[in-house]
Amino acid sequence: MPKFQIDGKEFEFKNGQTVLEVALENGIDIPHFCYHPLLSISGNCRMCLVEIEKMPKLMISCSTLAAEGMVVHTQSERAINARKAVMEFFLINHPLDCPICDEAGECKLQDYTYQHSIGESRFTETKNLKEKRVPLGPYVMFDGDRCIACSRCIRFCDEIAKSSQLTFVKRGDRVTIETFPGMQLDNSYSLNVTDICPVGALTNRDFRFKARVWDMSATKSVCIGCSRGCNIEVWVRSNEIMRLTPRFNPDVNQYWMCDEGRLKTWKHVNSDTRINGPQLRKNGTLAEVGWDEAYAFAISELKNFNKDEIGIILSSSASMEDNYMGIKFGKSVLGAKYFGYKSKVLKGSGDDILITDDKAPNTFGLELLLKSFSVRIENSFEQVMSLINEGKIKALLVIEDDILSGSEELNKTLDRLDLLIVTASNMNKTAEKAHIIFAASTYAEKNGTFVNVSGRIQRTKPAVVTSERERSLDGFEMSRLDKFGTEWDKWGKVNKIEARASWKILNGLGVVMGQKLKYNMAEEVFVDLSKTIDKLSGLDYRAIGETGVQLKLTNTN
Amino acid sequence: MEFKFSEENLQKIASVQKNYPDKRSSIMPVLYIAQEQNGWISHEVMAEVAHLLEITESEVYGVVTFYTMYHKKQVGKFHLQVCTNVSCMLRGGYDIWNKIKDKYNLEDGGVTQDGKLSLEEVECMGSCGTAPMIAINEDYFENLTPEKVIEIIDSLK
Amino acid sequence: MHRIVLPDIKNLQEIDVYLANQGYYGARLAFQKSPDDIIEIVKKSGLRGRGGAAFLTGLKWSFMPKVTSKPKYLCVNGDESEPGSFKDRQIFEFNPHQLIEGILITCYAIGAQTAYIYIRGEYHKWIKPVQKAIDEAYNNGFIGSRMKETFGTQFSCDIFIHKGAGAYICGEESSLMNSIEGQRAYPRVKPPFPAQNGLWGNPTTINNVETITNVPPIIKNGSEWFSSIGEPKHPGTLLFGVSGHVNKPGVYELPTGTLLTDIIEKYAGGVINAKRIKCIIPGGTSMPPLKGDSIEGLKMDAESLRAAGSAIGTGGIIVMDEDTDLVKVLARMTKFYYHESCGQCTPCREGTGWMLKILKRILDGKGTKSDLDLLISIANNIDGNTVCALGEAAAWPVKFTIARFRDEFENRVNESIQIPVNNKVHSMRKTKNPIDNIEIR
Repeated sequence: MPKFQIDGKEFEFKNGQTVLEVALENGIDIPHFCYHPLLSISGNCRMCLVEIEKMPKLMISCSTLAAEGMVVHTQSERAINARKAVMEFFLINHPLDCPICDEAGECKLQDYTYQHSIGESRFTETKNLKEKRVPLGPYVMFDGDRCIACSRCIRFCDEIAKSSQLTFVKRGDRVTIETFPGMQLDNSYSLNVTDICPVGALTNRDFRFKARVWDMSATKSVCIGCSRGCNIEVWVRSNEIMRLTPRFNPDVNQYWMCDEGRLKTWKHVNSDTRINGPQLRKNGTLAEVGWDEAYAFAISELKNFNKDEIGIILSSSASMEDNYMGIKFGKSVLGAKYFGYKSKVLKGSGDDILITDDKAPNTFGLELLLKSFSVRIENSFEQVMSLINEGKIKALLVIEDDILSGSEELNKTLDRLDLLIVTASNMNKTAEKAHIIFAASTYAEKNGTFVNVSGRIQRTKPAVVTSERERSLDGFEMSRLDKFGTEWDKWGKVNKIEARASWKILNGLGVVMGQKLKYNMAEEVFVDLSKTIDKLSGLDYRAIGETGVQLKLTNTN
Repeated sequence: MEFKFSEENLQKIASVQKNYPDKRSSIMPVLYIAQEQNGWISHEVMAEVAHLLEITESEVYGVVTFYTMYHKKQVGKFHLQVCTNVSCMLRGGYDIWNKIKDKYNLEDGGVTQDGKLSLEEVECMGSCGTAPMIAINEDYFENLTPEKVIEIIDSLK
Repeated sequence: MHRIVLPDIKNLQEIDVYLANQGYYGARLAFQKSPDDIIEIVKKSGLRGRGGAAFLTGLKWSFMPKVTSKPKYLCVNGDESEPGSFKDRQIFEFNPHQLIEGILITCYAIGAQTAYIYIRGEYHKWIKPVQKAIDEAYNNGFIGSRMKETFGTQFSCDIFIHKGAGAYICGEESSLMNSIEGQRAYPRVKPPFPAQNGLWGNPTTINNVETITNVPPIIKNGSEWFSSIGEPKHPGTLLFGVSGHVNKPGVYELPTGTLLTDIIEKYAGGVINAKRIKCIIPGGTSMPPLKGDSIEGLKMDAESLRAAGSAIGTGGIIVMDEDTDLVKVLARMTKFYYHESCGQCTPCREGTGWMLKILKRILDGKGTKSDLDLLISIANNIDGNTVCALGEAAAWPVKFTIARFRDEFENRVNESIQIPVNNKVHSMRKTKNPIDNIEIR
């Protein structure tokens, strides 16, 4: 492999790699604004200027190809002075409003000002003014004063979202970014521009002014909005989710996620509709009870049915662990024969970027499970429903799915049941009909695994604590407030929901029924289930890690 | 107001597009043709150009706002472009600029109430050897004095 | 006296007159040679680009790939927007066929099938004669598919005019290409260079109008004839455009190496009212200005001007007499670069505005002594750090005017009484936006 030098150290490179790419690969941080690994090179910010021996001018490292024997200096006097100069130019017209800017704490300009600027301003003129608080679209807000014209957002729309909605207008220091008048930045991926904006020019309208970056914990997890399984971070303050951001995974979502996933997959976690503890139907109305009472009641009711009269509805949105326990509990405890799950495929709703037709994150995994238990799956949901209509199935256990949602016609079907038990995180149409509701944790409150559309198994991790857990004791990500806040300050008083993971609920029911289901942790469930599915054998949570493991797809499911 | 190219101009466009390997590249001549028909480049014009060239409106918008000769707002029947760059300045370009401003009560970018005149301070027009100069619409007037300029403008019909 | 680009022949713009004077004979000769021979002849002639950088034309042509599956292009740069330059319009008006003939030969040499003549949009009047000449040339079979019959060659090419729309930056060759492609005319990051990756990603050569117009006579008369004219290292003639405080401003075609003082005195009729020259810009406003008392014996060619601390640029000479207010001149020049900065890269986008604000303040009598060093520092911070040469074009006048005429600037700031108010930022949001408010009167 050819070699060249950066700051006196020798590095190997592949032909076609730029100086900046090799530097970043090797942990040398050449500062840069406009460069983004997945966007075209625009070379406009001039921050990555370096000195290269035998070249008269400083060169931008983002566009300069590494060459055999090249000698690069990032810390020479000329290079340092160029960075100081560029920083000064950036700052002359940039508002000094970090204390009220949402980007503060994760702002490249702020960071570089500390690292690479002269620390004082020689600019005594009046600053240029541009448009502030411009809603570019339904989700993105623009602040013209803060924009440094790096063009990342424009290139993102052109090259990744394939929707040229943003453009530079005007020239010189009058340049700003606009949509065509009367039109909006409303492509399905618009919020990614807020992630790649290196300053506070583009902010997420759903999140802006809600929290400071350093007051939140960020937990690595996976989006449950569709079967893509985009890797994300769940940002939590005071035990409340504030936002999701995409997390780099070259094999799944690169740096991106869709707006739908970012905005609509977590509001239910914080919602008022959360089911807070188990509920039993007494004299026609639902009433909150303790876990033990709910377990005991459920068992006594279930005993009234023989095994042919019991149906189990699993969920392609629930984790492997929850579904596994659903099948295991159904088969070995209740002896049930009829299993099914409701498909969430919306034909034509996907695109060729990230969004898939299947709005469930774990269809692939659920089918693996069903197959390993030799459960017939074609039309299983419809079959269960028609058996209820025929009066053959009289008791139904629904795990984490609102099966009435979008299927109003099933109302009458469910009315025929003698017993409906659900595990659910939020009150929904199905739960409203239930005789027994077990309060379930959401994906953001538990460990779990999901298999995405291309057969990659990935983990969710708990970011929000429920009443059964402690953030500090159970290995949660911690924010500054979590570490140093007290119960006496505003941030310390957190709201905890009384809920358990569905696998844990089913485990509890099994134990009460005298079975040997003694799982204490999700990972124990996983280790067990991995033994029943060939493709998962040998895997555990550590092996799956932060970015998942691709399952072998050679044989059919 | 909706904008549609005239039949004649659509033919002109088809003809100019032969000079370029793709439709998009013909945007600058197409905008000129639109400006000739409409007098200026309105949002409706940009939308129609985008439609015609099969690109997004914002791409057209970016191009229009880059070049000074596409009028982003209505200009007068006679658009006065006064060069004040160095060679003209040395020969009295600002005298002409100030004279026009005062006499017709116009600011940079302004239009007279009757819509007859509009004023723009422009950069070097390539008349340094015949400075000072103004351009009125597409025509150059060179070797001027403030008096001559007023005479020329007042004779415009 | 040699006049190569603008021969003293009446009505040469008419195709009949042009043909009667050996018109298109150079092309005929060229097509009998190999493209490599043409490049060799032009290399040997020592012809350098007339657009500002004075780069060897034959060498530039030789960068074009010989073997490629892609179409190749020639762009002829007639954007002519450098303040002080008004030479190409003479060619458009008085000798367009020689330009066309030069394009044919150049296309043949570099293997281009298509040429675009980029003419600034303001030049409505000068686009017409060029278009007329192109149409005539097509009708006579000198351009296009009929070239094969006319010249008995397998080669043919097309020539189109692309009209600019008001943007100085389009004179920068990569901006010019983006403009032809119908984009915002941002300069491109180099490398890759146009010969590898130019118009629509294809190999492209960009030459100035005057450069190309020199080509037919070189082919007709040979490289030795050309290289013997003017200064050996920068041979031929230049179209010197003289403007400012002279009695007979205009374009004069003279051999390179002609004395600057001769140009002013003998041709441009001397300084108005026989005043002394305070400052003179030798090659368009982007080139460093010279002191009026330093030009004795100065020859007008690339090497001599470099030695004198300036550059030949486009040969646009701006003469300023002893009464000229150089602070105002510099402020006006800086306003130009501020207005024309494309806004793509940081140092130029931000720096041009900053320099203008300071100069305007000095002009308004609110300057301080430290402003002068600050201006030079800003200019140094722009210089060399930008995507394209507009950075230098904006920085050099500031650096060199202040350095070479420091007294005048110091006198101006010493007169100042008011100390500028420090950074106003947000408390001043309701005041008028400075970017709408920079006027020099």
